[in-house]
Amino acid sequence: MDKTDSIKITLKDVSKHFGAVKALDEINIQFAPGTMTTLLGPSGCGKTTLLRLISGLEIATSGEIWFGGENVTDLSATRRDVGMVFQSYALFPHMTVERNVGYGLGVLKVDPSEITERVQQALKMVNLDGYQKRYPDELSGGQQQRVAVARAMVLKPKVLLFDEPLSNIDSKLRRSMREDIRKLQKSSGITSIYVTHDQAEALAVSDEVIVINEGKIEQQGPPKSLYHLPKTAFVANFIGESNVVDATLEKDGSGKSVIIGDTCIPLPENKKVPADIGPIQISLRPEMVQIKAESSSGTAIEGVISQSAYMGPVIEYSIETKVGNLFTRAPAHHKQYQLNQKVYLHIEPAELIVIPAPA
Amino acid sequence: MLPSSLNNVSAKTDPGETKPLTILIWIIAGFGAYWFLPWFALEYGLFDATIEEYLASLGWKTRTLTLTVPVFLALFIPIAWSNIPQKRLGWVYTLYTSAGIGLIFFDFIHTQNSMGFSAAVVVMALAAIFAIGISKIGFQRGDSFISGAVVFVIFMVLVFIFYPVTKIFYQVLVSRDGSFAPFQFFRIITSFGVDRVVFNTLFLAISVGATTTLFGLIFALYAVRATTRLRYAVRVLYILPIITPPFVVGMSLILLFGRAGLVNDTLMFLFGNSGFFIPAGAEGIFERSGYIYGFTGIFLAQTLSLTPVSYMLLSGMISTVNPSMEEASLTMRASRWLTLRNVTLPLIRPGIANAFLLGMISSAADFGNPLVLGGEYDVLSTEIYFSIAGAQLDFGKASALGLILLFLSLIVFVIQKKWVGQTSYVTVTGIQTAGNVTPLPKGMQRLFTVFISVWLVLVGALYLSIFLGGFVKQWGADYTLTIAHHRELWMHGVSSGGWPSLKNSLGYSFIAAPFTTMIGVLIAYIITRKQFWGRGFIDFGTVLIFAIPGTVIGVAYILAFNTPPVELTGTAIILIITMAIRAMPVGIRGGMSALSQISTSLEEASLLQRAGSLKTIRSVLLPILRPTIISSMAYSFIRSMTTVSAVIFLATAGTNVATTYILSRVESGDTGVAVAYGSVLIFTMLCFTLLVQVFAGRSRIEKQVKTK
Ligand SMILES: Nc1ncnc2c1ncn2[C@@H]1O[C@H](COP(=O)(O)OP(=O)(O)O)[C@@H](O)[C@H]1O
Ligand SMILES: [Mg+2]
Repeated sequence: MDKTDSIKITLKDVSKHFGAVKALDEINIQFAPGTMTTLLGPSGCGKTTLLRLISGLEIATSGEIWFGGENVTDLSATRRDVGMVFQSYALFPHMTVERNVGYGLGVLKVDPSEITERVQQALKMVNLDGYQKRYPDELSGGQQQRVAVARAMVLKPKVLLFDEPLSNIDSKLRRSMREDIRKLQKSSGITSIYVTHDQAEALAVSDEVIVINEGKIEQQGPPKSLYHLPKTAFVANFIGESNVVDATLEKDGSGKSVIIGDTCIPLPENKKVPADIGPIQISLRPEMVQIKAESSSGTAIEGVISQSAYMGPVIEYSIETKVGNLFTRAPAHHKQYQLNQKVYLHIEPAELIVIPAPA
Repeated sequence: MLPSSLNNVSAKTDPGETKPLTILIWIIAGFGAYWFLPWFALEYGLFDATIEEYLASLGWKTRTLTLTVPVFLALFIPIAWSNIPQKRLGWVYTLYTSAGIGLIFFDFIHTQNSMGFSAAVVVMALAAIFAIGISKIGFQRGDSFISGAVVFVIFMVLVFIFYPVTKIFYQVLVSRDGSFAPFQFFRIITSFGVDRVVFNTLFLAISVGATTTLFGLIFALYAVRATTRLRYAVRVLYILPIITPPFVVGMSLILLFGRAGLVNDTLMFLFGNSGFFIPAGAEGIFERSGYIYGFTGIFLAQTLSLTPVSYMLLSGMISTVNPSMEEASLTMRASRWLTLRNVTLPLIRPGIANAFLLGMISSAADFGNPLVLGGEYDVLSTEIYFSIAGAQLDFGKASALGLILLFLSLIVFVIQKKWVGQTSYVTVTGIQTAGNVTPLPKGMQRLFTVFISVWLVLVGALYLSIFLGGFVKQWGADYTLTIAHHRELWMHGVSSGGWPSLKNSLGYSFIAAPFTTMIGVLIAYIITRKQFWGRGFIDFGTVLIFAIPGTVIGVAYILAFNTPPVELTGTAIILIITMAIRAMPVGIRGGMSALSQISTSLEEASLLQRAGSLKTIRSVLLPILRPTIISSMAYSFIRSMTTVSAVIFLATAGTNVATTYILSRVESGDTGVAVAYGSVLIFTMLCFTLLVQVFAGRSRIEKQVKTK
């Protein structure tokens, strides 16, 4: 398959209700052809449900799903041409690796000799050539996962779905496995959707991240923009670490400034902020906040160290301020601050993340 | 990178989609049956009919509505190949086949004829096309195989459960002249001492339920926790009562404790009128006692034969108790006894409740033991039988009593399901020995050892008496060794003595076992995996299958299948169906517990690999379920071989089975012959069980199946 064969996937007003539970509520998404999109959100927010709707294993309560120019809403899972890697691998325990991977080819009545060959190619792709005769219980978790990936890809589906594929794998392997998956996805050019609740994984593997919360899309965009321009406090909190504090946007001569507690921080002219002045929220990521023993300008937030924890290269501090408890880090080779010491938190105005007040 | 040739392998047709050819095959089946098989039931069965009778029964030989059948069927062909859109085609199939099935039944009921084979095949073909029709409309998301399975199961439940049960209601609520008589029920049940019968049944059921639970618990604790060798004996010997027809236990009690039994003989020998030790002036004080007939006997027999069931349930439960919880208690310096009382027993409380309720249901449903040992102690199941047996033929009374028994049993079953919940499907596979289990307290173990030894000696004596009983001239009177009984049964050719009934039993059970296991597992699959409108119907049907006592099935089937349109009494088919229905809980329970341990993602992975549901079931589920299926089949076979309660109503001279034959010999006083046959039956079952154990050994799948 060439990358030009990649298809776009479109969800139009898709909802899924389980009795009274609205697992998904009026979802609209477009997945660009050939990209890897991550669905990110806390447990129970509806990620798996969304994936199952796309696969056809679950049928939407309302709305439409399109694969390219084809409306697949009523198509059964068997006919949708979708490959899926399950969280539990779902390898057939009574079949060898070879028969697991070749299962779908057998269903489609491909020549046995050709099946052997394609299975070998698929296994080579995941570095498992030679494991053909093993049974799943004779493989490690990571190997089982790679067999599952080979099985999902051997039929060259239109769409590849991954449901938290690495959550059962130990953390050291996880990093290299996610890179492998990303590489395979890129070279195959299959439009892929990857579900995870691990934000680091999401940022690392995807072209696009969609943050879901309680059945609704919170924000969609490339990893960088989600990190630097979260539109809601939820996204700011969920992606990376963040202190979200209440603040006010005020007119300040020709420009605008932000009032945090009793600190006023003037904003640079070119900074994008909401048009209306009034209450807003500010996300302060730990790396944006610098602790200093004295205030070098009027734009620092005053506070008292309430807790500190030595973490090796860095020390984590909790600082009690007028706008609440803020947390940040400082390099450990720096000067250490004592408990109850008065400190000043400096913030670079250009880096401030302004979140519009919730409607 | 994969080769680009992979592009052209994507599925073009839905594996669940039915092609016109499938319709054609069903139509041809119906057509063939119509021309060559009897449309009307033959008076004496297919194989005993004369050629004239056979010809006369063919559908196209008559001048009624049946002549339109071929035309009706032929019309499917243009429809199937027409260009009607799938959804509309589905509606056409659905409505057209419904009309066809309706007309066929209407015609048979209207003309008071009974359905023959070809009518059954045509109805089946129409039902299959009906299933294809509703799947095209969208039922089961267009999956015609699952639709077919659902339609088939609903059809079976309708015809073989609901229809017969409604016949019982009809019998009770409609008077002889056909008018509605709601108070007839009360008139019937007040015409004799029904309250005493119900009280007897309940009293027995509660006593037996409590006792078997307690004993089952003792056995289970002992088998799992004791440190003696005797525990291995318990783990093996529990199988004996399960492969024994229940009333044989009753018979052996008579041999030991009956009026002419060994115990009475011994007592008389010692203390009787001409005995050894007659205290002066006390002649005649000791008389032969008939205390075993009545409550004592039934209670003993049921306790002996039902304790193993409770044992299996509880030992499964105890071995799943997490040892660390008990260790936690022990480390807090609680004694083993306190740990047992405060930790272990509360953990298995659901199992205890379950065992009690199941024991109650089984006791109330038991028919063989009260029949053999009942004496004056009337219970519902035997009262039902005696209302019909002989020349009584009081179907009103039998039905009324049957309804009472059915409701009692349903109530207990529903309590059990609600109260104990899903644990009623806990795997009854015996024992998995866990690592560091807490041993029994010392004193308790000693007590149990004594108890179990006494029990095993008693059971040994009972089985020995059955075995020996077949080799003595007249138990109680003449203990001369003889092989006359066995000679009478087995040495006079294969068409007399015990052979015909043994062949029937083996043959029917051999057909019923795979059949019932297949349907049972299918029902389990539908219940655990499918949600759809109308599933409540299957659920309720399943509850009935579990709860309905054998005697009630017997009465219901006589009422339902003795008259048109479906006349089956006197045939082998009705016995096979009865055995299948009686054994169905085995398959359902086994299927449910196995399926609940197989993650649905396996099936989903198969679906996403383009496999249809049929292929998925065949290639993924069935291989994993194989051990369950084999053991369910074996157990169903055993149950079919040993069942009495329902088949005794339905077996005739030509379709006698082993159990009914034995009971008839008991009734005519040939105890020697009866126990001789009984011991052969037990021996056969024992060999069968051992064979299954050897050949079905553990497969690699069992240990691998991942849980969700
Ligand atoms: N089959 C189902 N029946 C009922 N509720 C369900 C079902 N599947 C999911 N849900 C509910 O839908 C919500 C979303 O579930 P899910 O998609 O599995 O979340 P996630 O994968 O993000 O953890 C949860 O509240 C869950 O309880
Ligand atoms: Mg999930």
